[in-house]
Amino acid sequence: MSQSLRPYLHVRSSLTAALTISNFASQASERHNTPQVEARDSPELLLNPLHISRNENEKVFIEPSRNSVRVSIRIKQADEIEHILVHKFTRFLTQRAESFFILRRKPVEGFDISFLITNFHTEKMLTHKLIDFVIEFMEEVDKEISEMKLFLNARARFVAESFLTPFD
Amino acid sequence: MLLLDYQNVLIESLLTERFSGYASATPVSIDQVVSDFDGVTFHLSTPESKSKILISINVKCFKELVQYGAQEVLEREYGPYIVSPEPGYDFSVQIDLENLPAEEEARNDLIMKLALLKRNAMAAPFERAFDEFNKLAEEASQYTSESAPQGIKEGGEVMAIHYREEEAIYIKANWDRVTVIFSTVFREETDRIFGKVFLQEFVDARRRVLTLQNAPQVLFRNDPPLELAGVPGLSTKEGEVSYVTFGMARNISTSISVLTRAVLFPRHLTAQRRYENISHIQTFRDYFHYHIKASKAYIHTRMRKRTADFLQVLNRARPENEERERKTASGRTFRVQG
Amino acid sequence: MANQTPAVVMDNGTGYSKLGFAGNDSPSFVFPTAIATKAAGSAGSSAGRPPVANKPSFLGGGGGASSNLSAKRGTEDLDFFIGDEALAAGQGPGYGVNYPIRHGQIENWDHMERFWSNSIFKYLRVEPEDHYFLLTEPPLNPPENRENTAEIMFESFNCAGLYIAVQAVLALAASWTSSKVTDRSLTGTVIDSGDGVTHVIPVAEGYVIGSSIKSIPIAGRDITYFVQNLLRDRAEPDSSLKTAEKVKEEYCYVSPDIVKEFARYDREPDRFLKHTVTAPNGRSINIDIGYERFLAPEIFFNPEIYSSDFLTPLPNVVDGVIQSSPIDVRRGLYKNIVLSGGSTLYKDFGRRLQRDIRHLVDDRIRASEARSGGARSGGLDVAVVTHKRQRHGPWFGGSLLGQTPEFRSYCHTKAEYDEIGPSIVRRFALLGGPGSS
Repeated sequence: MSQSLRPYLHVRSSLTAALTISNFASQASERHNTPQVEARDSPELLLNPLHISRNENEKVFIEPSRNSVRVSIRIKQADEIEHILVHKFTRFLTQRAESFFILRRKPVEGFDISFLITNFHTEKMLTHKLIDFVIEFMEEVDKEISEMKLFLNARARFVAESFLTPFD
Repeated sequence: MLLLDYQNVLIESLLTERFSGYASATPVSIDQVVSDFDGVTFHLSTPESKSKILISINVKCFKELVQYGAQEVLEREYGPYIVSPEPGYDFSVQIDLENLPAEEEARNDLIMKLALLKRNAMAAPFERAFDEFNKLAEEASQYTSESAPQGIKEGGEVMAIHYREEEAIYIKANWDRVTVIFSTVFREETDRIFGKVFLQEFVDARRRVLTLQNAPQVLFRNDPPLELAGVPGLSTKEGEVSYVTFGMARNISTSISVLTRAVLFPRHLTAQRRYENISHIQTFRDYFHYHIKASKAYIHTRMRKRTADFLQVLNRARPENEERERKTASGRTFRVQG
Repeated sequence: MANQTPAVVMDNGTGYSKLGFAGNDSPSFVFPTAIATKAAGSAGSSAGRPPVANKPSFLGGGGGASSNLSAKRGTEDLDFFIGDEALAAGQGPGYGVNYPIRHGQIENWDHMERFWSNSIFKYLRVEPEDHYFLLTEPPLNPPENRENTAEIMFESFNCAGLYIAVQAVLALAASWTSSKVTDRSLTGTVIDSGDGVTHVIPVAEGYVIGSSIKSIPIAGRDITYFVQNLLRDRAEPDSSLKTAEKVKEEYCYVSPDIVKEFARYDREPDRFLKHTVTAPNGRSINIDIGYERFLAPEIFFNPEIYSSDFLTPLPNVVDGVIQSSPIDVRRGLYKNIVLSGGSTLYKDFGRRLQRDIRHLVDDRIRASEARSGGARSGGLDVAVVTHKRQRHGPWFGGSLLGQTPEFRSYCHTKAEYDEIGPSIVRRFALLGGPGSS
């Protein structure tokens, strides 16, 4: 991890703060209990959303509320190759959202991937480990994308050379 | 698998089996319609008797190929085996199992030759271009580059083979080189971007790697190259066709057509190298598309691995000793009364 | 389109994969569903094959060490073999053989994706963008597996269209070629016996009755072992597994009654045969073949002669399966019992099965007639369908349906996939069902 990335990953403290959530039933409809950050039916339950950005291409958007938090990530994508790889990878992940509990099936607009953590998640799972997961995801996903890009270039080079070699 | 085979594996394996087993086993009838790359269809059958195998080929652009001398090439390759084409097909050969060459080696050669039917059918325009090149090169050697007459400078006509619906190969001979142009359409965004990366490497490979200095020069672009647009004497018909290719590409918003140009220099055109090079350059388009797909498959593999890793991290957040149902020795359970 | 490309039909089974084009009467390729990959650990040796693998960058001065490294890292996934080549490569050093399908279901998607890639580009030689694909799946395949399949077929290969059919249903469709079958119904019981396991699958109107499926742990491999044991007991000069397999395939048949068959062998000594095996060193060995000709397939009908833990004869299993199915389809299930797979090819297998099932059914009818005191039953029609395409039943059914003009309208296309996503393949309109020709 580069030094410049370190402060960015201090998303951790903001997330820890945001994840102080607890059960809160819906005030709008009886016997409903929905994540407030999604339902948005009572404005007093929504807290101030927070942008943390490294630059315009890499940012995290945390939307806290009384009983749920939404974390959206915009993954670095410098060129169209990275763009398509990010797109493919996030699509692959959301396809398997079932096993990822906190993964939102559709990212918030303007971002590549979103997580929705509700009080039910924090009750069943360890909050600090959930935060670890989000941080690790942010670290790893950049690495993965750039590795895939490297692979693609290496493969292309290899393929081109192999095709041209028999002409010798 | 790195390089694609030149021959059709099915024909090869089928004939190998039939040729070797003929003496012992009774022949079985065959009736198979199989596809090959580039819109080629084969029909293998035993219409008359079970010992006579008829192989027919249908090529989308056979008319064009005939124009460039395909019939002669095929006659040269398959002379005694040719029969009149089966209805619906362009060219047929028939092999009589009772009348095979006696030597093992000759038989294997025959099998290979038949498996290369598609290659040979497509080879005609390449051969013609190479011949033309030889002629032009000889003529040009009498002049300096300034004094050469216009005809020699411009080179031969552009031969177009529309081997797929939206894609074509253009071949043109000059006095100092033969240019082969492939037009390729990408129907998908991912393929287009991957394709661009690959093509860039094709262009750079020759410059970067010393051992490839002798390889053909490859260029690519998204608009018709000069060879196709600017050459006077390019008949209007061909002009229209190439326009249609691009026109279609423009109508479908997601498809992008790319022209790749491989320039073959004199050293590729010597007689002994010619055969191999024609086979090889024919596979370019499919090789290229195959590798785009293979790299997507590899990226899938990576993503699967990475997804599993992420899941592992996430599962750490789940407390380990989840309350499991406890049983007594006799298998009963206690339930908390609600 | 006047000149439509034929659909590609791929039936990937646990043991063998059948690949070919719709409209043909047999698959173009049949080879083991095996993939040989570079075994982990031995990947470092650059001296191995393929010959071109590391050469270009390695020799190129410009690239230097880093490009060599990346070329090495990036190409392992191209270095593999499938089918018979895989088994051959697995013999040598450096490669390990993997079977991506277990119990009919795809277990290793990485391997399967590469297996398909090679099937398409090396063997079938088609551009997947030009062709529609018909794949098969076992009964009770989880929908997630379908989605994964679609993800690979559409995203990696950009195939034009995809249809995934259940093998048992295709086996039913394959039986339409039999002259005995008059109405093309998709109701029937499929007995699918391959190498590893035998399934009895009831199908009603094209849908598998999942709760009633039964499997029997007796199949082709067990018959081979049985033959081998008999050969060994007699101390034949050659009792290898390969010879046993050959004997099984060439000489075995089903007898109506084993006791009578034994007596017949004693009366007619020419029923004993000789089989000649050519040993690898060129010598030929003669072995005798006797009672195993009819005893081996008999283990389906009298499993106690082979196994001590599975004792229910096949006819009873079939009867039980049909009895456990909903009552309104049972008549159709009895009427159309279809055989599929290599281990159902023995001569008179169908006839014996039909007779035994009919006995069971008639006995039951008689018993209930007796209990009811005088009521007469209209009887129940039991028919076992044997046909010429049994060996590759599911593949042939796929080929049959894949060549129909309406096949393409049943497929999901690439455009639909892009629009809706992988969940689209959870539902397919029933191909060959009511309403289609």
